Amino acid sequence: MPTIKLYANLRNIAGTTEVSITPPSGMLRSVSRESNLGACVSALIEQVPALDGVIVEDGQIKPYIVININGHAATNFDVPVGKDDVIAIFPPMAGG
Amino acid sequence: MNGWNNKVLDIDLTAQTYETYPLDMEIARLFIGGRGLGACLLWDLVGPEVDPLDPENVLIFTNGPLTGTGYQTSNRFSVTTKSPLTGTILDANSGGFWGMRFKKAGYDVMIVRGKASKPVWVEIKNEEITFHDASDLWGMRVFALTEKLGQNNNKRNVLCIGPAGENLSRIAAIMNDRERALARGGPGTVMGSKNLKAIVVEGKTRPKIEDKGRFKFLLYESRKLLAASPVTSQALPEFGTVVLMNIMNNICALPTRNHQQSQFEGAEAISGEALTDNYLVKNDSCWACPIGCTRISKTDKVKGEGPEFESTWAFGAQCGIDDLPAIIEANSICNDLGLDTISAGSTIACAMELSEKGYMNSGLRFGRADQLAPTLEAMAARENVGADLADGSFRLASKYGHPELSMSAKGLEMPAYDPRGMQGQGLLYATSNRGGCHMRGNMVGPEVLGLPKMIDRFQVQGKSSFVTLHQNVSAAIDSLVICKFTNMGVAEEYFARVLSAVTGIHYDTGELTQVGERIWNLERLYNLREGFTKEDDTLPPRMLNDAPAEGPSAGRVVKLNPMLKEYYRGRGWDENGVPLQAKLKELKLVNLGV
Repeated sequence: MPTIKLYANLRNIAGTTEVSITPPSGMLRSVSRESNLGACVSALIEQVPALDGVIVEDGQIKPYIVININGHAATNFDVPVGKDDVIAIFPPMAGG
Repeated sequence: MNGWNNKVLDIDLTAQTYETYPLDMEIARLFIGGRGLGACLLWDLVGPEVDPLDPENVLIFTNGPLTGTGYQTSNRFSVTTKSPLTGTILDANSGGFWGMRFKKAGYDVMIVRGKASKPVWVEIKNEEITFHDASDLWGMRVFALTEKLGQNNNKRNVLCIGPAGENLSRIAAIMNDRERALARGGPGTVMGSKNLKAIVVEGKTRPKIEDKGRFKFLLYESRKLLAASPVTSQALPEFGTVVLMNIMNNICALPTRNHQQSQFEGAEAISGEALTDNYLVKNDSCWACPIGCTRISKTDKVKGEGPEFESTWAFGAQCGIDDLPAIIEANSICNDLGLDTISAGSTIACAMELSEKGYMNSGLRFGRADQLAPTLEAMAARENVGADLADGSFRLASKYGHPELSMSAKGLEMPAYDPRGMQGQGLLYATSNRGGCHMRGNMVGPEVLGLPKMIDRFQVQGKSSFVTLHQNVSAAIDSLVICKFTNMGVAEEYFARVLSAVTGIHYDTGELTQVGERIWNLERLYNLREGFTKEDDTLPPRMLNDAPAEGPSAGRVVKLNPMLKEYYRGRGWDENGVPLQAKLKELKLVNLGV
């Protein structure tokens, strides 16, 4: 199952740092074999309803949210996700 | 023209005299203030024949036409000098309150020349300038000295050096308002070489604004924009800059153990989340800042400002240390001694690698949090192992026969972004006029955070155009002088409008960016005149040849040469990185006799 790691205030919102997602109801493909990022994020929100509206806006990744899959930036929800992949979701941040 | 005070304070420490004269407003128009004015003045005042620690080197303190107006973050100021660490032109800038107070005392620029025969401190109360004997203050640490000289954020502000600057450590910082720092490149060393312990300033006169109505409206709009940006209204106030630790680690671009690795197993323990959960007392802000990114942290031993991301990284991942209280304490010790945290941490890391490989016999080892505090004290005092480390990693590594183990560019230690995971950052470090520095156009925005838009961090072709734009905008902002975090919510066009409203001179976005380009080219010319060549636009061999073995940046090294060729061409320079006459003419640098 892909793992989703949450950072900064997403942890406060979700009440956890990490979520192992299970297939959401009505999904066409099981996340245990292959999926895409959109399905994984849908599964996350179904498990953690407090994240509804925080990561997704108008069907896209919300501005300022960064989603990395195994450390590589994913810029849309069609990016495929393998069963052992680690998805990291970061809220708006800055530094230097 | 308004905004500027139109006044230069010129201090001769040798004779302990001073004079004031008008600011050249033609220069001010072209360079605005801050870093720009500093570069222009240094070009004329300090040539290649001057060693950075000679009395003939100068310290040029500058503010800008926005300083003290109350515009968002209009508190910052710059110091420009020739760096004793790198030999390049150096400017550093700081926040807090001192810069605003210096502006309200009635000055745009303070040039400090010569060398006092014995320690002095200078008091500025508007037009009254007094030289005081500092013999009994010499040796004092920053916190105690700042209090003794009467620091009061609302009235009287102290700028000073600690023992590190007195002992001419080449990584010494100038501290202001207790824990703010003009840190990189050794400005504190220059101040110490002049026997100048402190400059204390009082002043109340607000700068004049040309179009008050328009200014007020732009202030209101900027405040709304900052409140609407989730970065400036939520992320920075809640977590500060240390929040970058986990994302840099996630993408395998967090330099670890002197850049031997790019991921740190202890990153979570020293993250912004860990700091907020366990050691944060509150956030705080500089004068006229609605963002509030400053941390006030507390451990059993210290309470004070910071740490920032770079400092936490330098004493953390770079030294293989995951003990956050020890890191917070190391940051505080640096502030009290007047040391640059990035250079200090990275120099300790370099010593750790030299020692573990048997090239040096210091006993320093990666992961030894207990070694941080005593090593920093020894560095400031130049005692024992500290004598070797006091002058930065390049001199240290060179002494022990392995200069390639200094993780520096042009002698300035690189900060917390591994360029093997961010190609643009590699080009930035290699071409930065003051050496390995992220504040001259940080590529973390586009390459990691997607600000304003995500670009491929491994892409090489075309990357130089992003770097050039970031460098030019960064230089322009440094001339205003305001905080770059404002730019996270407010676009440059607003800065141009505010500058126009304050000064009465029309600037548009293109002209403002061109000011930045002008500053960048003049700094480049300064370094070329000092003897730097394109051979110095490089990175440590580890960055060019040794790829991380695993993780998302596995197999990657910095592909510098193709980026550099493209960069020189895009900047209007020849193949040796020398600005062409056409570019100098375009930037009006030819008019200045440059």
